[in-house]
Amino acid sequence: MATSPGFFGWLRSNSEHYLLIAAHQKLAKAQGTPAPRAPRGVKEIFWLKVFAPTYGVLPWPLRSRIMRAMPGSHRKTWAPPPRPQGPAV
Amino acid sequence: MPRKTVIIGGGAAGLGSAGGVKAADPGADVVVYTENEDVAYSPCGIPYVHGGEIPDFERLFLAGKQAYVDAGIDVHYETTVTAIDTAAHTVTVSGEGVVRYDQLIIATGWNYADPGVPGGDLGGLYFVKNIRRAMEWDKVISETKSAVVVEAGPLGIEMVTALAHRGVETHLIDPNPYALAMMADPDIMAPVEDSWRELGVHLHFNTTLEAFVGDDKGQVRAVRTSGGEIPADLVVISTHKTPNNALAEAAGIKVGSTGGLIVDERMKTSAPDVWAAGDAVEIPHGLTRTPLQGLTGSHAYAQGKTAGVNAGGGERAYRAVYVPWGTPAGKWVIGGASFGEATATALGIPYVLGVAEGISRARYYPGVQKVKVKLLAEPGTLRLIGAQMVGGGEGIKERADFLAQAIRFGMTLHDLSTMENVYSPAIGALNEPIVVAATNGVAEAARKKG
Repeated sequence: MATSPGFFGWLRSNSEHYLLIAAHQKLAKAQGTPAPRAPRGVKEIFWLKVFAPTYGVLPWPLRSRIMRAMPGSHRKTWAPPPRPQGPAV
Repeated sequence: MPRKTVIIGGGAAGLGSAGGVKAADPGADVVVYTENEDVAYSPCGIPYVHGGEIPDFERLFLAGKQAYVDAGIDVHYETTVTAIDTAAHTVTVSGEGVVRYDQLIIATGWNYADPGVPGGDLGGLYFVKNIRRAMEWDKVISETKSAVVVEAGPLGIEMVTALAHRGVETHLIDPNPYALAMMADPDIMAPVEDSWRELGVHLHFNTTLEAFVGDDKGQVRAVRTSGGEIPADLVVISTHKTPNNALAEAAGIKVGSTGGLIVDERMKTSAPDVWAAGDAVEIPHGLTRTPLQGLTGSHAYAQGKTAGVNAGGGERAYRAVYVPWGTPAGKWVIGGASFGEATATALGIPYVLGVAEGISRARYYPGVQKVKVKLLAEPGTLRLIGAQMVGGGEGIKERADFLAQAIRFGMTLHDLSTMENVYSPAIGALNEPIVVAATNGVAEAARKKG
């Protein structure tokens, strides 16, 4: 049984879905790959014509900060990425 | 008195955690509850039995039931846990009542997302997951003339190939413009789609599912889509994986934005003495630290081991993920690690691209196969942030594993362009495609800079 997504679940699910469609559109324009269909209805127009371009103009550090502020496993204790060390011998 | 660990779920995460508990505390009582008739089989192998690459389902069983008895792991089959009380340290089990635990591990896995259209209760809709049902469905496939696969996710693309191999008229419908669009790039999938067409598969992209249409006996006879009605005796549902954690959420255990349970690097949840692993949890991505849910069986097993060792009183940490992946698709094998162009573009992450087409072994050696490698790197530092590949099969998995580690350790295109590689005509070409792609990426970065 699926669980209720809550606000952050709703935001994550929709933004992930529509940002990917916007990315497919960008790649289609740049590379001539298959394009997604045109948006239909108010919901699709909002996410693709308002949300995605707005997200696109925000600098990555700000976007990253917003994503990291959402609740999730990333806010618990996780070791930092490993760093290369000196020669083994 | 031995400590009692209760594990909910008998998949890769559940059994991995059972082994982890026993490794840390051999004297522990370990009880696994599973709703299925079996444990220790590979559900990921089911499409390959359907496709005829594996001759029978029995080969998918990794261990018999006695192996778990011998290991001191008490598996309760076809048993449902209906409630968790984290304050009382109990679970409620159908037919057994209230059962106390010292440690609880939640490994309840995933479900297919509800297609959410009329006709969902018709016969002939196949959700590939349980091996016993798969054995029954395999007989249905033998009688099937026309099938529709709904959505080109990882399992969907395996089933498309499997059904085509079985000679079934196969239609794939997907709302995206190309297959596996949620993770792969269009140029990686193009040869796969061509190979499906060669197999006679009908591809319907940018096509939305509207309804399953039934006959008067309650059996599906067609699928209605935004592009019209497609006749079908069988429909394979391959909607995305959603975490099956209603039980945990009802117990007040915290859930993240992906719907997966929130865990730390020890796979500990928000509740005391409760761990979780597998598709029920979310894990941060190693580069962006944004959480991901619905990874692979190897991720689930390793997370289960971690949860089990810690629940058993040991000490083990899981790490943020870089997600090496790969799968056969059509006549090709595709794979990658971390970001591709589509996912990096979606997140707005800038990248420099290095692309090369090479070969898997010496060009004159029989069985040589094409390998295309794409590397994505951070502009400026040229640190690797992602990779995608398509090839005849040889070395795609090993390259994906290696490139995930290269990303994890912060390797750059410079590092990879000067990488040494094995040369031996039967197993490796003079020019390793990763090296050529990295070299091209360095040149591309210089061209953009200049």
